[in-house]
Amino acid sequence: MNGSRRARPDGATVAATAAALLMSLALAMIFFWVPTDIDQGYSQRIFYFHVPIALTTYTLFGWGAINAARYLWKREPSLDLKSYVPMHLGVIFGSLTLVTGSIWANISWGHWWFWGDTQLTTFLIIFLFYCAYFMLRFSVEPGERRASYSAVYALLGVGLIPLSVIGVRVAQRNELIHPITFNSNGANMDTSMFLTFLVALAAMLALAVTMYLVELRGKRIDERVRLIRRLAEEGAA
Amino acid sequence: MIDEFAVKSVAAVYGLAWVVTLVYIAILNSKLGRLERQLDEIAVVLERRSGDG
Repeated sequence: MNGSRRARPDGATVAATAAALLMSLALAMIFFWVPTDIDQGYSQRIFYFHVPIALTTYTLFGWGAINAARYLWKREPSLDLKSYVPMHLGVIFGSLTLVTGSIWANISWGHWWFWGDTQLTTFLIIFLFYCAYFMLRFSVEPGERRASYSAVYALLGVGLIPLSVIGVRVAQRNELIHPITFNSNGANMDTSMFLTFLVALAAMLALAVTMYLVELRGKRIDERVRLIRRLAEEGAA
Repeated sequence: MIDEFAVKSVAAVYGLAWVVTLVYIAILNSKLGRLERQLDEIAVVLERRSGDG
């Protein structure tokens, strides 16, 4: 009785549903529930999108690096794709982090960019490093060599992430301009603000998971179509 | 009293996130369109083959 059996929702559908629900909840909390920050005022609400986007960027680069390591270990072509897709999404989220950060900087500091800030500069270095990943990847012919080069590069890049975090802590001792939200004492904010931040972070991660699964499926279908096309053309010749 | 510039900045950040998501969906849609065209081409090749056979 295959006809009566309902198909189970796939991972992307589950993630998209979770993202839609969490994003709606996050927006309701940000604009209707959480109090306005005393120091920064209304503009502090940028924090609930900007920081989760930045953390999602790091997560995507980290996930890409884990799959790169798995590729180098197992040499399965599917792991190369699972490493490439998070890198691509990480650059999209990274661009958004830089732009939203610049808007926040403009209203808080009166400048779109501040070169003296360690966190901004290290994030830009990481972002540019991963932009160069694509130049490397697409300058090599598809195959094992390209996958290996990409995997090694992805692993090298992920080492820059802890450097960025340490850089901020070092800057904290000197002249600090970038706000430090989390330190050794925990979250430096009100409980309602922290809860809103967690919901926004979960929403952003769910959105990233959805995009990852959809893009991965698209790439797999693309590969299969290329294979079928080649077989069809070979058969016709 | 809410600062108007702050409201505009917050709206810009949240609006931008939505625009990026929509652009991403549009790019995916164009890729799906390309796949659809490739499948049509394969179907033509296979139909020709079955006609020859």
